[in-house]
Amino acid sequence: MILVPVTYKGGVYRHDEVVDLIEDLGGSIIQKHVIAQEVVLQALVPREDLELLAQVARPLMGEVTPSPLVGTEIAVVSMSLEIHHLPHPSCDIAEYIRRNGAKSNVIGLARGFGKRIAQLNDEERDVINEHDLAIYLFGNFAHCIEKKMPVLRRGITVPIVVCGGPDTATLREIIDPPVEGYYGGIGRFMHRTKESEELATLEGVVAEVTRVLDRRRVEIGKDPLSVSPARLMEVVRDQIPAINEVLSPTPITVQVAGLRVKLPYDTFAGQLKACEIEEGVRVSDVAEVLPSRMRDYILIRVKPFSETSLMV
Amino acid sequence: MLPIEYFEVECEEATGGELYQKIAGVVLLDHDLIRVIAKLHIFIDPTVPLFVAVGITKRLPGPVQVRDVGDVNAQEGRITISIAHETHLAPLLTLLWDKFGKERVDQPDRFTIILHGVDLDAGSLMELPVIDPSEALYKDLIYALQVIQPEGFKVRRQFYGDGKFWFVASENTICEDIMPLIREKFARMGETL
Repeated sequence: MILVPVTYKGGVYRHDEVVDLIEDLGGSIIQKHVIAQEVVLQALVPREDLELLAQVARPLMGEVTPSPLVGTEIAVVSMSLEIHHLPHPSCDIAEYIRRNGAKSNVIGLARGFGKRIAQLNDEERDVINEHDLAIYLFGNFAHCIEKKMPVLRRGITVPIVVCGGPDTATLREIIDPPVEGYYGGIGRFMHRTKESEELATLEGVVAEVTRVLDRRRVEIGKDPLSVSPARLMEVVRDQIPAINEVLSPTPITVQVAGLRVKLPYDTFAGQLKACEIEEGVRVSDVAEVLPSRMRDYILIRVKPFSETSLMV
Repeated sequence: MLPIEYFEVECEEATGGELYQKIAGVVLLDHDLIRVIAKLHIFIDPTVPLFVAVGITKRLPGPVQVRDVGDVNAQEGRITISIAHETHLAPLLTLLWDKFGKERVDQPDRFTIILHGVDLDAGSLMELPVIDPSEALYKDLIYALQVIQPEGFKVRRQFYGDGKFWFVASENTICEDIMPLIREKFARMGETL
């Protein structure tokens, strides 16, 4: 069964029917937002049942749209948190990929600016590595990007998509060794992106991110995960009631190959490891439960089938 | 198109230069500095790295006097100021308190100030300068240039005077003989420092 990431937008009235349908079909609700009278569901739905979902949604005035980034957590790495880089373009890109279903986190480097003085500390490196992908937002000069990139990529193990002022071909030329994705023409700017040309550029960034993540999913598909992160999320939600008390918009963030659970590690790691997915199979059998460097959250990394010889 | 007589960004990297021209335009508009700058030349060399901005300001309005803030009416040992433009009310009150003392300055309502027992005629009072806009302009201009410059250029030198300004920033130590470069950039605008 191939699950397709989608977003459902509709009214509050009878939206529970849509939720039930997705769950009955074997899909998962990744995130649910109730905003006044509107409901936004981000979900994974079996590909063959998409039409059925659209049919059920139609009389409820609901809309089902594909959202390629649902179920991913993406780091938007800004060179600093000063006015030079915020709120544009960092927040514009973070917001745009969020609209496409990703959970985006803006990471402002303490000393990412400058050509000679740019650096990445261990905490920043570890936090970036906890994501599925990192978007590096550089400035407008190819010379500076070329000089600082080796420093800022040191120790990064997740795929990187580089964005900067020079065009894509120039970025591709100056970055050595190559990174997974490039998108040029979006460097430092000081105005809000609202023109159609600028929105097209943001669409381009989303397309590049989607391409890189699809490639990662294909790689994971060669050695599949022992359990789907979406299923693991439901297990955690059912067996750890404390997660329902968390006020964060996404108490459990689904990643391509894991979960971020927003509960304190010291208190809940033991309970999490002991959660039973199926008879005789516990979370600790199929995943690593690790302390996150983001606050005191818990990071769950699902092991591949080749390591566990289990598929639940 | 910006209403600046001369506005250029000079940079070896053409793309970077164009993008910085846009950034500079947006920042100057946001900070409402377009109306005060007559000429602006920005030079960026990312290889050094170095950011140089030189420019000329337009003729600025003179100091705001009491007559510009409101009407002055003197009668029987007291002077009444009826505020017309509230924008400068706070600096006017500070000026009057400093000059005559708080016990002689009354503000019965938002738009009225009454001075008691002040040894000054209405004509002299009207000519008192309240604020000088050029002082704030200098700070605004330097702040705007700091926003325009690439981030991380923490070493700075700047000058403003006689309607001309220059600003140099780098992430390295700025060389001592930077003045010839600044003069050259002024010459490109057809000006001399």
